[in-house]
Amino acid sequence: MDTAISERLSAELRVPFPSAWEAEVAYNSLSVDKEPKRGHVHRDLSLDGNIMQVCFQASEARTLRVSINSFFEHLKLVCETIDQFRPL
Amino acid sequence: MVVAIGFEGSANKLGIGIVKDGVVLSNPRHTYITPPGQGFLPKDTAKHHREHALSVLKLALEEANIKPEEIDVVCYTKGPGMGAPLVSTALVARTVAQLWNKPIVAVNHCIGHIEMGRLITGAQNPTVLYVSGGNTQVIAYSDKCYRIFGETIDIAVGNCLDRFARVLKLSNDPSPGYNIEQLAKKGRQYLEMPYVVKGMDVSFSGLLSYIEEKAPKLIESNAYTPEDLCFSLQETVFAMLIEITERAMAHCDSNEVLIVGGVGCNKRLQEMMGVMASERGATLYATDERFCIDNGAMIAQAGWEMFRSGVVTPLDQTTCTQRFRTDEVEVTWRS
Repeated sequence: MDTAISERLSAELRVPFPSAWEAEVAYNSLSVDKEPKRGHVHRDLSLDGNIMQVCFQASEARTLRVSINSFFEHLKLVCETIDQFRPL
Repeated sequence: MVVAIGFEGSANKLGIGIVKDGVVLSNPRHTYITPPGQGFLPKDTAKHHREHALSVLKLALEEANIKPEEIDVVCYTKGPGMGAPLVSTALVARTVAQLWNKPIVAVNHCIGHIEMGRLITGAQNPTVLYVSGGNTQVIAYSDKCYRIFGETIDIAVGNCLDRFARVLKLSNDPSPGYNIEQLAKKGRQYLEMPYVVKGMDVSFSGLLSYIEEKAPKLIESNAYTPEDLCFSLQETVFAMLIEITERAMAHCDSNEVLIVGGVGCNKRLQEMMGVMASERGATLYATDERFCIDNGAMIAQAGWEMFRSGVVTPLDQTTCTQRFRTDEVEVTWRS
């Protein structure tokens, strides 16, 4: 089911980090994995200083929700890792 | 001196291990155990890994008495395995590699088993039987490649055993295979079942369907006990594995055989392999559950070998892949 981009559902997130360095670490960890092909979700990550911006586009609400949920689970893990294992 | 830390999470075990020049400094592991009759699903397994990764990592560093700055390389399992658990584990590896400013090495899970087996047993150039819940392969090294001589054409031998354990509602603690092994010791009566070797390959799915269908009736009518069926299943599938391993050894003129993977800690399999090896004048090498079953140290050890031979994976290429064959990796660290 191909739907023109203009007709697709979308969601935007802005995730603030304490510093640009932490935002970059999280960005580098999270941007490696591509979205599963079957979900037909497009995810775009970018950095703006200490803010990580994420834009999701999907043709179905269900796949959009799954993708966002999964992103938050991964983000939480990365943030906890940064908090607990950052250099002193 | 090279210190490597390895992150493993391709199946239901989350393991993190630290290896320093061939010495395992720490190797803690946390296993996701499901209720009897149930297998582990990717989503729940990934959640398990996310929940335990950081506490296991703390334990790995404490037990090894190593500070992050003493680590030289961060190694993680790229595949093969279940997608979501692999990614959850890789995320932690990528993040600590950046926090500690260390290079990363992506490791093939099967190669991890082989290199750990070689390290622990001292086997030089063995024919390898790699048997686990997800993989069944007979492997021999030649010309910078671990070549697959034979493998399963459908499900892994461990998957066959695990799924039969579900039919009998055996506990998954510590593992379904272990509990089958214990019951099999009390089996007396052998039930003949399909023995499927096709050239160098084996097949277990037909055998599993057969026993899944027959078992409830045979047990209900008291014709066979669950112990008899566990015994019969083990004898049949292990005989198939020994047959293809022996053929590979004959082909390669090999005098060493190494068993690795989770099913490899089965004492009956080791015993049968030992008989075959001694008849051929070969030596059997096997390890115990600490190193046979998925663990972090095996990923650290394979990564240690790769790193020393000059392999580094750029951060943006530290992806995971569910399919990743043993023979896809160029073995740069062996002559």
